[in-house]
Amino acid sequence: MECVVRPCRAEDCVEVMRMIRELAEFEKLPDQVQINDQVLREDGFANDPFYRCLVAEVPPEYRSRDGHTIVGYGLYFFTYSTWKGRNIYMEDLYIMPEFRGIDLEENRMNLGSPGICTPNYAGKGIGKKLMSKIAEIGVENRCIEMKFVVLDWNQAAIDFYQSQGAVDLTAAEGWHFFHFKGDALVRLAQGQTGL
Amino acid sequence: MSCFRIRPAEPQDCSEILRLIKELASYENMPNAVKITEKDLLEDGFGEHPFYHCLIAEVPKEGQAGSSCTVGYAMYYFTYDPWIGKLLYLEDFYVMEPYRGLGIGSEMLKRLSQIAIKTNCSCMHFLVVIWNKPSIEYYVRRGALDLSTEEGWHLFRFDKENLLRMASEE
Repeated sequence: MECVVRPCRAEDCVEVMRMIRELAEFEKLPDQVQINDQVLREDGFANDPFYRCLVAEVPPEYRSRDGHTIVGYGLYFFTYSTWKGRNIYMEDLYIMPEFRGIDLEENRMNLGSPGICTPNYAGKGIGKKLMSKIAEIGVENRCIEMKFVVLDWNQAAIDFYQSQGAVDLTAAEGWHFFHFKGDALVRLAQGQTGL
Repeated sequence: MSCFRIRPAEPQDCSEILRLIKELASYENMPNAVKITEKDLLEDGFGEHPFYHCLIAEVPKEGQAGSSCTVGYAMYYFTYDPWIGKLLYLEDFYVMEPYRGLGIGSEMLKRLSQIAIKTNCSCMHFLVVIWNKPSIEYYVRRGALDLSTEEGWHLFRFDKENLLRMASEE
């Protein structure tokens, strides 16, 4: 099966937004999606975009059960380490479930039923292709590392990334993510310290 | 009248920023970990597409009117959450020890929050190592939430060797 990984275009934002919502459902947090395809388009296609995105596209004959030909995306941006310099950060990597586990190298697909996943082909499929492309972009831009987060219960993703050589820095080095959000951010902006 | 000033960094601040980066690395017991140079900071922060932004804290130099010392910095950049949009990410935040307790840190956080809100960011994110209790208390006292503990987020990294390997795979 052919699968093209290419930069997202402005008109792809509707499809990417669809898949963002699917991923939120999978992560059991669907109510937390607050942006829409218009915001995605504004933020990604401004003069200085806030993110970059790749999409995975299949030919029409391999479209999904619901008729989609854009079947995955990888959203990333550049970050900076004061110790090592430029980094690339993989924010989201998502393949529609019916397109996972497909071995693109061996082209193992049942042509009579597009989109049937074959088991045991982790590491050869669309997700890997997207991730490789992001890595390539990182190398082209002289990035030293790629970073990303995974939820601790998502063992399938953890296993996949660790099999590719990724290190869990939270477990290994104790790094924790913190945030100031909503009221806490506003209070900070007003110079109010303490809760 | 406050005895310090916070302002956006300019290209000529890069050598002082690097000095402070190295001091912070020493505090984190990693003095040899800093590989970037002043040239990297200049190119990456003040080129066509900056990879970072920086605020500088400075105090007047004693006995030298019109002159000042750089005593702190906050390096940040903008990131993106596909659920909530733009975020401000605080990469490094450091005030030299003799200048703590003057309100420089609080003023820096205030300025950063104002920048975040003005840019329409939903939140400010940052990392802290879990053994760094003073820093964690500092941030939690001001309303920060530990997402790794609360929601289970773990930070992963592919190093350069893996990055090159993945980039060359078809």
